[in-house]
Amino acid sequence: MRRATPFLILAVGLLALAIDLLPNLKLPAAGGTTRPIETKLGLDLRGGLRVEYQVQKVGDQVATAADVATIRDIIERRVNTTGVAEPLVQTQGSDRIVVELPGVSDPDAIRALLGTTGRLDLIPLPRDTYGYVDLASGQTTTGVSAVPTAGTKLTDTKLKPLFSGDQIASSNVATDSTGRRVVAFTLKSEGAGLFATWTKANLGSYFAISLDGTVVSAPYIQSAITGGEAQISGGGASGFPLDEATNLVTILKFGSLPFPIAEIGVTSVKATLGAAFLSQAVFAGLVGIVLVFLFMLLHYRLAGGVANIALLFYMLLVLAIFRVVPVTLTLAGIAGFVLSIGMAVDANILIFERTKEELRVGKRVGPAVEAGFSRAWNSILDSNVSSLITAFILFYFGSSTIKGFALVLIIGVLCSMFTAITVTRLILRAVIKRDRFASPYLYGISAGDIPAALEGTQRG
Amino acid sequence: MDKIIARKRWFFLFSLLVTIPGLFFILATPLSGGQVGLRFAIDFTGGTAWEFRPETPAATETVRLAVASAGHPEAIVTEVASGFLIVKTKPLDLQDGSTGSATAGQELAKIRTAVVTAIGPIAEEGSVSTVGPVVSKDLTQQAALLVVLGSIGILLWMTYRFRNLRFGMAALVALLHDVIVTLGFFAIAGTVAGLEIDALFVTAMLTIIGFSVHDTIVVFDRIRENLVRHAGAPFGDIVNHSIVQTLGRSFNTTATVLITLLALLVFAGGSIRTFVLALFIGILSGTYSSIFNASPLLVWWEERAQARKASAARARTA
Repeated sequence: MRRATPFLILAVGLLALAIDLLPNLKLPAAGGTTRPIETKLGLDLRGGLRVEYQVQKVGDQVATAADVATIRDIIERRVNTTGVAEPLVQTQGSDRIVVELPGVSDPDAIRALLGTTGRLDLIPLPRDTYGYVDLASGQTTTGVSAVPTAGTKLTDTKLKPLFSGDQIASSNVATDSTGRRVVAFTLKSEGAGLFATWTKANLGSYFAISLDGTVVSAPYIQSAITGGEAQISGGGASGFPLDEATNLVTILKFGSLPFPIAEIGVTSVKATLGAAFLSQAVFAGLVGIVLVFLFMLLHYRLAGGVANIALLFYMLLVLAIFRVVPVTLTLAGIAGFVLSIGMAVDANILIFERTKEELRVGKRVGPAVEAGFSRAWNSILDSNVSSLITAFILFYFGSSTIKGFALVLIIGVLCSMFTAITVTRLILRAVIKRDRFASPYLYGISAGDIPAALEGTQRG
Repeated sequence: MDKIIARKRWFFLFSLLVTIPGLFFILATPLSGGQVGLRFAIDFTGGTAWEFRPETPAATETVRLAVASAGHPEAIVTEVASGFLIVKTKPLDLQDGSTGSATAGQELAKIRTAVVTAIGPIAEEGSVSTVGPVVSKDLTQQAALLVVLGSIGILLWMTYRFRNLRFGMAALVALLHDVIVTLGFFAIAGTVAGLEIDALFVTAMLTIIGFSVHDTIVVFDRIRENLVRHAGAPFGDIVNHSIVQTLGRSFNTTATVLITLLALLVFAGGSIRTFVLALFIGILSGTYSSIFNASPLLVWWEERAQARKASAARARTA
């Protein structure tokens, strides 16, 4: 096992290097397709549009998880018709849907398209409020309220839909017996049953067909509709204009959300601005890393150099994991990564400080380094667990920006425990075997630090 | 160096001097109705922030009047780096499918037209963010929940690892110190310079909590080790010795982390400025509190317990 460790580390390092540097690598993805391995950048760095929706309730009906999933699918289909590359549509929590569209230049039009409910409701209008038509005589009895005309909004909160657009099996543009252009639709069995029962009992009553709360048409029932086939008529003398009819059919067929959605947050970032932030953050990160490298070299000399190698290994590994998972890097994510470098160094500092203490009491370099590793282990474990606790809390309870940062931190902490301990120890063990690397000076100890009485023993 | 514990009262006093003004400004936030103290970004309050750079530099007041004339007297206009202006208003153009309100960018377009009329063409637009009341309410609750859960998590973990509630409590006091110092700094900076805290600030707080405990753990670990090694020695001496032994590590780790943060602070722009600044202050405070608060607190606690025991024993013999 021990003997296999160097090869294992080498293999992990080479694999990470390959993932980081080789272009056009692909990973198998769901459905037999492949997914390119690449560094995914968040919208704040590449520009684009992010919209967060909340699914609204209808009356006292609340959307179930299945409903929210359906809405997500429909939004994704709508997104796909726009041709935006790499869209992301995902549910969040119990009633949120987040849409991320990189590089979108016309956010307003897309928002209008995505946010439309296309919710078609069939709403019975009660006789005592809205009146009815006596089918035998053709006489109209008016109610307290006028029957709403097409284009008006339904404001009467007492109205309850009989069923909704999700009960529509198919729809097409058709012509009725008088030659007017109408929209025909066929109902699924549940809707057909409800419609048959209601129409039989309410001949002559008015009902409203509403789209997104606006009346499309409010006809009265001329005959019981038992077969589940119905028509919506509207428009002028020749019926619906063709484009209006086609639009309606499109919405009826696959555009209708079972529940309306409302935007609760919108962010759009210009791509140029994102690119500027990215280059600034990368530059800042590099400056920070170089400074940390210098600090370690000056402070711990040879040991610091070894820690820097482990740190390079750490960076390669973490970037590779970011590319494979993939982790979407935002500005905060980059800050988290740079911060994690500082934390990764902490384990090495703990070990080297401990080593220095052992050297000061007169141990030789070999045993001092080993003691440094074993004595520092408790502190390293305890402190990293405390970081993981807070990172997991952020990941579990945080919103999406916070989650991204937390994920970076979690990956960073776990990887750093591996590299700062395993990789550093492996190299140091190989190094201290050589006599010329066995001077305490190389581990950050100045000559005056070692008690004179012990000088002899630590050489021997 | 050997008098850290002996001088603990002075270190406690210093912490009080740092935290009390901050605390005053934090508490002033709700009392003054937001006039003084912490300034919240739209992430917390809800609203629209529109970022743009005019071709010719314009006074914020001119822009504010233009936006007000477009129907938004509530607008606040601030200037940020590299000639960008930020206009903040109440949330604009949020579509709601259940009421059918679809203004898709119309309100903002109105504001843009008014601004262009007043100050000339816009050279570049940055980002437009709108946060609705649902999201901002979520975040406010989330922030409190995260900090409370984070603190409880750390308290439990420390108590478990050190098999002693006092260690957990001392670590908790130290991290609350850091939370108050950071929050207090931003409350003062918010009052004086209009510095705002946003969603990422919450993340910074949790990171500070996690990191502050790093330092505390290292010292506590050493105390635990020395308690075994130097059994019988006075507790205060053991703690002082442990602090001195771990001082090198504490300073060096803090130095490396602060170096990286400083690089980000100087060279990186955009939304992470506040975030990085919060981390910088919190981590600095974290190092102080774990050396000069958490460990001395253990000693103070122990001495009090012993004093009580002694007086109880005296009472029994009397």
